[in-house]
Amino acid sequence: MDNPLLELERSALTRIAAAANIEDLEAVRVETLGRKGALNQVSAGFGKMAPEQRAATGKLLNGVKQNLERAIEQRRAEFESAALRARLDAEWLDLTLPAPGTRAGSLHPVTQLQREIEDLFTSLGFAVLDGPEVETEYNNFDALNIPPDHPARDMQDTFWLEGGYLLRTHTSAVQVRGMGRLKPPMRMIAPGRVFRNESVDASHEHTFYQLEGMMIDREVSVAHLTYFMKTLLTAIFHRDVTVRLRPGFFPFVEPGFELDISCLICGGSGCPVCKQSGWVELLPCGLVNPHVLRMGGIDPTEWNGFAFGLGLTRLAMMRYGIGDIRWLQGGDLRFLNQFGGAAL
Amino acid sequence: VKFSYNWLKDYVAGLETPPESLERLITMKTAECEGTPEITLPAQVLEVEPVPGSRYVKARIQTRVYGERTVVCGAPNCRKGMTTLYGPIGKKVIQGVESDGMLLSGFEAGINDDTAGIYEWQPGDPEFIDAIFDIDNKSLTHRPDLWGHFGMAREISAITGKRLVDPVKPSLIPPGESPVRIEIEDQDLCPRYSALVFDNVTIGPSPAWLQYRLTAVGLNPINNIVDLTNFLMAELAQPMHAFDRAKLRGATIFARPAKSGERILALNDIAYDLTPSNLVIADARGPIAIAGVIGGAESAISETTTSIVLESANFQASSVRKTSSALKLRTDASMRFEKAQDPANTTRALARAVELLQELSPGIRLIGGLADAARPLRPIPPVTLDLDWLACKLGRSLEAAEVRAILEALEFGVEPTAPRVFSVRIPSWRATKDIAMAEDLVEEVGRMIGYDSIPPKPPLIAATVPPEDPRRIFLRRIKSAVALQGFTEVSNYSFVSEEQVQKFGLRPEDHVRVLNPIAADQSLMRCSLLPGIFSDIEENSKHFASFRLFEIGNEIHKRGAELPDQITHLAAAVFNREGDGAAGLFELKRLAEILAPGAGVRAVQAKPYEHPARTAEIFWLGEGIGRLFELHPDLAKRAAILDLDLDRVLALRPAQANYQPVRRFPTSAFDLSVVTGLREPAGRVLTTLRAFGGALLLSIEFVRQYTGPPLDEGTQALTFRITVGAADRTLSADEVAEVRTRLTNGLFEKGYGLRG
Repeated sequence: MDNPLLELERSALTRIAAAANIEDLEAVRVETLGRKGALNQVSAGFGKMAPEQRAATGKLLNGVKQNLERAIEQRRAEFESAALRARLDAEWLDLTLPAPGTRAGSLHPVTQLQREIEDLFTSLGFAVLDGPEVETEYNNFDALNIPPDHPARDMQDTFWLEGGYLLRTHTSAVQVRGMGRLKPPMRMIAPGRVFRNESVDASHEHTFYQLEGMMIDREVSVAHLTYFMKTLLTAIFHRDVTVRLRPGFFPFVEPGFELDISCLICGGSGCPVCKQSGWVELLPCGLVNPHVLRMGGIDPTEWNGFAFGLGLTRLAMMRYGIGDIRWLQGGDLRFLNQFGGAAL
Repeated sequence: VKFSYNWLKDYVAGLETPPESLERLITMKTAECEGTPEITLPAQVLEVEPVPGSRYVKARIQTRVYGERTVVCGAPNCRKGMTTLYGPIGKKVIQGVESDGMLLSGFEAGINDDTAGIYEWQPGDPEFIDAIFDIDNKSLTHRPDLWGHFGMAREISAITGKRLVDPVKPSLIPPGESPVRIEIEDQDLCPRYSALVFDNVTIGPSPAWLQYRLTAVGLNPINNIVDLTNFLMAELAQPMHAFDRAKLRGATIFARPAKSGERILALNDIAYDLTPSNLVIADARGPIAIAGVIGGAESAISETTTSIVLESANFQASSVRKTSSALKLRTDASMRFEKAQDPANTTRALARAVELLQELSPGIRLIGGLADAARPLRPIPPVTLDLDWLACKLGRSLEAAEVRAILEALEFGVEPTAPRVFSVRIPSWRATKDIAMAEDLVEEVGRMIGYDSIPPKPPLIAATVPPEDPRRIFLRRIKSAVALQGFTEVSNYSFVSEEQVQKFGLRPEDHVRVLNPIAADQSLMRCSLLPGIFSDIEENSKHFASFRLFEIGNEIHKRGAELPDQITHLAAAVFNREGDGAAGLFELKRLAEILAPGAGVRAVQAKPYEHPARTAEIFWLGEGIGRLFELHPDLAKRAAILDLDLDRVLALRPAQANYQPVRRFPTSAFDLSVVTGLREPAGRVLTTLRAFGGALLLSIEFVRQYTGPPLDEGTQALTFRITVGAADRTLSADEVAEVRTRLTNGLFEKGYGLRG
């Protein structure tokens, strides 16, 4: 006949394996391993046993107890992991549903482009300056070597305000402010809104954005100017850009240039965009006229400089293929919402 | 300004560069040039019928550009089937038949000297007959000499290396007294006045070659004398004027400021009232021309003219410009004079006139010699050009011989004064305001060597960190923050209309006014972003059920006589077609708190465009920084707007405080449900709690608002969680209870009740 302890073990193990849930399992545990359970009853009979039988039974009892504890633990773990699986499965979420809350908005395309250029020039050591949109005649014209009754004033149709002020016609108006604030050697850019008294159509606006740039140092040459323009445009268009300079008249630079870039549409072989010339006029620039340096309080016998005026609005149109300038001033979200994804 | 290729060829010996290449060269080295190919074209004669009673024929022709035309032609070789040349010089009646343009001889078209008949075009002849280069006036602002063909020919000669041919023979002006006397009152305003007098003049149409040339560059042929003055202007850049001598009173011509009240009927049939700031040409009786701008009608050339005074003068650029802008009258003459013409040019043009008039008015007789009054021509100081400096400016090495050749080709005088140093003499036509310093010569050399011969080169520059502008950084971050919160950036005009500002309760007279607005509805400078934002809402609500947008822009505010103040504002809007509008307002309140952490709102009197029960002022650190409101329902459906003064926000922004040690002792918290009247603002209860909180109060957090049973009707309960604690100990139950008692007493004192 088997030892009743082993019989007990066998039947308990069978019940453990058959337990349908954690409650059944607990009942087995209480009946066998509990305070009043079967094993404890065996050990309660120890007192009546002979010493040698007591030792053998004790050893067996411990073995059975450990086996049952292990089996119960293992079964409990099975139940728990099944329960966890069931809970997790019940927590299934359809992540293809749209996220609640608002989508990020977007920055204006001109803002985005302006930031790129600001960052580029900041990395090259240029300060970024602001100037007022309402300006003095002096800053907008006289200090740029365009005295009253100079025909060059015709080059920019001006909005005049009461009190003798005007709306700046170019960000060049920040040149003299910049020279007053920063001492040479200096490098600065000044982006901002400018105004020309022109009727609005697909390619003309009375309100648009420019970015003025100026560098003043001991030695500044046409070669340096070309270098910066090439660096700038290559960064903006993310490809190598060929530039060329040709004569252009602007009283605040001498010599003055129009800078053309090789047409990005046809690569220079000629197309309707570049009027078959292979070149697109992009920005005016030049070496700073000594009169302008002098008016900025800088000695032209010691210092030289270059300056350029980038049409931010125009560049944004080229960058994003915008065919009508009027989209850029106003608030039509059907247009503006297309420039999302770059709100930072 | 327009230039005819054939005309230019007259002054450049052996020019063979085809028009297209020439156009590119001029663009790269002188000024941007837009070519129009072939204004005169080979034309096929389709049909010919005689004009009865004359040697003329009426011909129907076919041209590529103009299609079919009917012309009257007197040439003996005009016949059906031939190909000849057509000049589109306007309609006129010849022998009683209308001729739309005319057929040209080789001479008339400027391609050879053949005058015997119209051009016999042969296969193999060039496709073009003439080409017109159009140069934007603006790019010739600094080059008075380029306002005539001869000046442009000088450029072409320097560019191509072909010889320049001067058409002027100065010796044609004979010595002798002129029958007229010139009196200049102010030689600053009129540095020179020259004139010749001719007799035995016959007035009639100009020869075809002259008519063609004028037409080609956009001038209308009128009669031989007027055409001569226009031809000389287009050739030598010297504006001219011819007076009918019989209509002049006295033998003296005055150049003087107009007298107040003087009036002149000009050639354009408009009468101008003159002021002393207008320089006039006058005879003994009064003004006969507005100097440098336009001639008078009374002394104009007419069919009966037999004697003329031919004026060739020089006027101060700024004076002509002032007069021409004041009279709103821009003429071919005034455009040239305002670029500062060369005083040395007046007699050159007269000498050329003497030659041409022999052909244009056969039998004409020059009476006496030159009448000429002038300020002594000022010596033109030479400019010192250091070639190493020049190389440094251009960023390329240069040979002395190369520089010298370039300058001499442009007719500068070059005198070496030291190794690699030139003393450069400036020709008179470049000295009036174009060239006065060495920098100006950098351009002359640079454009001729070609800027493409200068390779780009990075400069050596100090490695410095650019100065930081906290305002720019702040505005940039705000823009990003607002966009990330779901708002799309818009960009509205700075101009607003009177009607728009009145809608927003603003007075037009408080705005800075534009003196020359582009349209009546854009006559004021905005002193609020709201009108623009409002029209954005209106427009977009047609396309979207809900949206968020914002603008960061400048308000322009009057500041007495000073430069107007420019205040940067943020205006953000939330539009929802559905809903009660509360969500939008709170979203904007949250936005304000993101930009100004800890900002609060307080009740404020609503403006007419604001919802009277949904308007608040945003305040931060004790100061108002903007407004939060719903648009009045009269204006729009449920649009919430936040308007913040970003310059104020920037000014108030506290510096980052120093680190505080993290609290070591636990804090205690309890809730208070405050019973108040229904519209009691939670913010006011909060203020009361703060006021009574004492030193141990750490924070108050709003938990919920409740109305309904068991509360009395007309009351609400606002529940707040109060957190208390101390830095150096755990508070005892008694201490916590003390704070609670103080708060409840305070609430009772202010008339609030307490629930539970």
